Amino acid sequence: MDFSWSDQQRELLDAVSRFGREQLTYEVIENDRNAVFNHDAWKKCGEFGIQGLLVPTEYGGLGQDPLTTVAALERLGYACKDNGLLFSINAHMWTAVIPLVFNGTEAQKRKFLPGLCDGTLIGGNAMSEPNSGSDAFALATTATRAGDKYILNGSKIFCTNGPIADMLVVFANVDKSRGQDGITAFLVEKGAPGFDPSHKIEKMGVRTSPMAEVFFENCEVPAENLLGKEGGGAFLFTRSMTWERGCILASAVGSMQRLLEKCIRYANERKQGGQSIGKYQLVASKIVDMKLRVESARHILYHYGWVAGHRKAVYLEAAMTKLHLADAWVKCAEDAIQIHGGYGYMTEYEVERELRDAIGAKLYSGTSEIQRNIIASLIGL
Amino acid sequence: MTQPVEKILVAFKSVPDPYEAAAPGDSGSTAKSVINPFDEIAIEEALRIRERGETSEIVGVTIGPSSIDEQVRAAMAMGVDRAIRIDDARLLDPYAVARILRGVIEKEAPQLVLMGKQAVDDDSNQVGQMLAGLLGWPQATFVSKIELLDNRTRARCTRETDAGLEVIDVNLPAIITADLRLNEPRYVSLPGLIKARKKPIDVQTCQQLGVIVEPLTRLSSTARPARRSAGTRVESVAELVIKLKEEAKVL
Amino acid sequence: MTKTNTLILIEHDRQQVKRPSLHAVTAAQQLGGDYSLLLLGSAVGEMAKSLLGYGAASLLVADHAELAEPLADRYALVIADAFQKCGATTLLGTSSTFSKDILPRAAALLDAPMLTDVMTIEGNGNSFTRPINAGSMIATVQLGSERRVLSIRASAFAAPTGNTAVSPIEQLAVDAALLPNGMQFVSREERISDRPDLTEARVVVGGGRPLKDKETFDRLVGGLADALGGAIGATRAAVDTGLAPNDYQIGQTGKVIAPDLYIALGISGAIQHLAGIKDSRVIIAINKDPDAPIFQMATYALVGDVHQVVPELIEALRDRE
Ligand SMILES: Cc1cc2nc3c(=O)[nH]c(=O)nc-3n(C[C@H](O)[C@H](O)[C@H](O)COP(=O)(O)OP(=O)(O)OC[C@H]3O[C@@H](n4cnc5c(N)ncnc54)[C@H](O)[C@@H]3O)c2cc1C
Ligand SMILES: Cc1cc2nc3c(=O)[nH]c(=O)nc-3n(C[C@H](O)[C@H](O)[C@H](O)COP(=O)(O)OP(=O)(O)OC[C@H]3O[C@@H](n4cnc5c(N)ncnc54)[C@H](O)[C@@H]3O)c2cc1C
Repeated sequence: MDFSWSDQQRELLDAVSRFGREQLTYEVIENDRNAVFNHDAWKKCGEFGIQGLLVPTEYGGLGQDPLTTVAALERLGYACKDNGLLFSINAHMWTAVIPLVFNGTEAQKRKFLPGLCDGTLIGGNAMSEPNSGSDAFALATTATRAGDKYILNGSKIFCTNGPIADMLVVFANVDKSRGQDGITAFLVEKGAPGFDPSHKIEKMGVRTSPMAEVFFENCEVPAENLLGKEGGGAFLFTRSMTWERGCILASAVGSMQRLLEKCIRYANERKQGGQSIGKYQLVASKIVDMKLRVESARHILYHYGWVAGHRKAVYLEAAMTKLHLADAWVKCAEDAIQIHGGYGYMTEYEVERELRDAIGAKLYSGTSEIQRNIIASLIGL
Repeated sequence: MTQPVEKILVAFKSVPDPYEAAAPGDSGSTAKSVINPFDEIAIEEALRIRERGETSEIVGVTIGPSSIDEQVRAAMAMGVDRAIRIDDARLLDPYAVARILRGVIEKEAPQLVLMGKQAVDDDSNQVGQMLAGLLGWPQATFVSKIELLDNRTRARCTRETDAGLEVIDVNLPAIITADLRLNEPRYVSLPGLIKARKKPIDVQTCQQLGVIVEPLTRLSSTARPARRSAGTRVESVAELVIKLKEEAKVL
Repeated sequence: MTKTNTLILIEHDRQQVKRPSLHAVTAAQQLGGDYSLLLLGSAVGEMAKSLLGYGAASLLVADHAELAEPLADRYALVIADAFQKCGATTLLGTSSTFSKDILPRAAALLDAPMLTDVMTIEGNGNSFTRPINAGSMIATVQLGSERRVLSIRASAFAAPTGNTAVSPIEQLAVDAALLPNGMQFVSREERISDRPDLTEARVVVGGGRPLKDKETFDRLVGGLADALGGAIGATRAAVDTGLAPNDYQIGQTGKVIAPDLYIALGISGAIQHLAGIKDSRVIIAINKDPDAPIFQMATYALVGDVHQVVPELIEALRDRE
């Protein structure tokens, strides 16, 4: 067992830290209030290489391993306080890029991956529907083959990046009688006839990441945009979902570290009753717990990254990582507010936003309850 | 003697990261190093000159042990064509550095040498000027704008002086030292970094250059300066004015 | 030519001697031995007269039309020549862009090492302290050579007092034919200001990035400076966004100041900026972020919005009269 980075990993991670620090430290309060997505920052991340971290070099990516990738995203999360931007990047990487890398045809990879890597294209997925959330495979959207096209009908909800996406991975059923074996993935491009991703949804946190309700009304998708096989959608979804669970909160570990440091500074600086509040054991122990939470979150994340680079079946590790990181992030943000007192509740201090941003982590990519269900069944309950 | 710029030599130094921001999760790691920010500006300027088609080659040079290869690769990742590292692990003073660089310049024969005006660790602000003196070349220090004139045989330089901006012309070959506002350096992208791993670093020694130098400056100790302690919080402008008058007696 | 131990380079703006450059006299006295002053320029006869009462062994004057502008190649050559002729071992100046441009070049011509920004002289005049790493560390250094070049920090050495003995003037012959020709002066931006010089002012008001635009900067920073009869300074961030000219920059790579009172308006307190203000006697910081690092070194800290607080402060200072 060896916990050290190789020189090449360190060099890459240092470059990410520096990029984040120099290019991504813009003000977020206004953007959050007005739910504004930072296109410019997206583009910079793409040019720098973030979106393509895991993509093989022949398709414009960097071919990095999962461990280096999650550590890089952690660095980014530490430097950049725009959790919404990072959430959009994550949705793009795990729900659009990964399915293409593993299930795309050569032509599809050549067409989409270079742009998805360098920041010119934005991707996302559309799975959840008004009547199917946790039970995703109960989806109602249909796809019917018509010559060299598929015709999609139905609606999707909670589609991250929907309003700004150039392409979405959309799940529909080609034959309801086959149940989940009818579920099929399609690449739906912006501007496709009958495709309407324009209905924005307001939300509590990660407000700078746009979300849409998406409608398909006799939406035409060319047959070459079938992703994987007809009926292969459920498997494809499960695979990309596993990547997503393991990696999507890597940047949250960076935010937690940032919150921890902010709390330490504040606890030393703020004086009440004639001493720094950090001298009160109740405050100190909160911060110690926070430190433990950040460290354990980082370790479970790195372990997941390592495992994902060494073997195929990582469902258990992915679910545990997702569950633990989501809980840790929310608790950290909540404690950070408590430590900052009334100031922590005020927008200007930028702590309350972290809590709003964190809470969604218990919902997307499978709720915390669903992660517990998965873990329970995988450990034999 | 003057000939149009064909080759630019950029000297750069590896320094501790001035931002000192330890990355999360790096428990107990040593301080990170980066290319001296002013030298990075010099590299960027060389790249821009090449992008305008006003030079064909950029050679980077630095002095230090192999532990600074990460900064050498960063320079190549930015776009330097070729990089030389003079392998020398000693703590050198600016005059020693200038003499080693003279050796490199005599061998490489560039028409223009760029470097930062100072290194942010040592803060000496000497090497460029000393090098110009040793070579008998013109110099332009603290430069915030460079324009090549007369078929690239002369450089018009805007200098940032205490009294404001000053413009001078220097005949080439010359040494130009970069100030902060010369440009904003591009960041090293990850694809650039990975590509640079494949480029070789040309490692040379002082012996090979035929340069024998001994530093004449000896650092005997370093210490933290006495810290100013945080003072008093005042709650209002009125209170501030009273303090200034009665306690600080500056009004 | 009169022999001497230390040769001091005098800086001027073609009208007047820069007062901080005389602080080198105090440093020369600490080094011990004789010192001479060296004045270069064109038609500097009047100025030379103002330099007679500082106890120097002699005042060397290189007065020639070809020296009208301080071009480093020429100046360094003339300085090195004078240094050798008077048999000096130390070449001394006060840190400024003028001396930082010229002295290292002269050092190379003299085959001597140089120390920049010397703050104290210790141990028989052969050990020196100087700031490194943006002033976050102080290095103690010795020089292992007979000849040496030093530039001192004006704020670390007092203005000369005591020895007012009158010095003889010695003219240095300048052979124009021997002067290098590779550098040509083109122009200089001249700014006229009623405010005192930044490095000499008793009160300095510094402004940071949140001053938004030039108009606001002038109104708040300029307004407060005028209310106190002070000079204006700025952070690099403020200069970079065009709020103030380059030569207003205070810090590691700008000017180092040591006024009685420094007022920092909307300045975060990056170490590179602090490097330039550390020696101020009283520092007031006004910042809306209670965690701003500047508060860790401010004598008086006021948490507030500059757009609101500064007009109030200007008002309060006016009422005082
Ligand atoms: C910020 C954000 C971004 C999102 N982005 C996307 C996206 O890009 N694409 C996309 O397709 N979807 C996206 N979603 C949707 C997300 O995947 C769903 O919200 C999630 O799967 C839960 O579905 P639901 O909201 O319908 O809740 P429901 O499934 O209705 O669950 C309601 C409650 O019941 C619990 N519950 C449900 N089933 C079980 C069970 N079997 N055992 C125990 N408890 C159960 C849940 O844990 C939860 O507490 C996003 C959601 C959020 C909050
Ligand atoms: C090699 C190098 C050399 C450098 N040299 C120098 C140098 O010589 N001098 C220098 O200054 N910098 C230098 N810097 C830059 C330095 O690191 C900082 O970036 C710079 O000093 C920050 O300037 P600032 O305080 O104006 O801006 P910011 O860091 O943006 O700080 C603005 C501050 O204003 C506060 N604020 C915002 N709005 C308001 C309001 N309405 N009212 C009150 N307060 C408000 C904020 O809380 C914040 O603290 C150098 C950097 C490098 C890398």
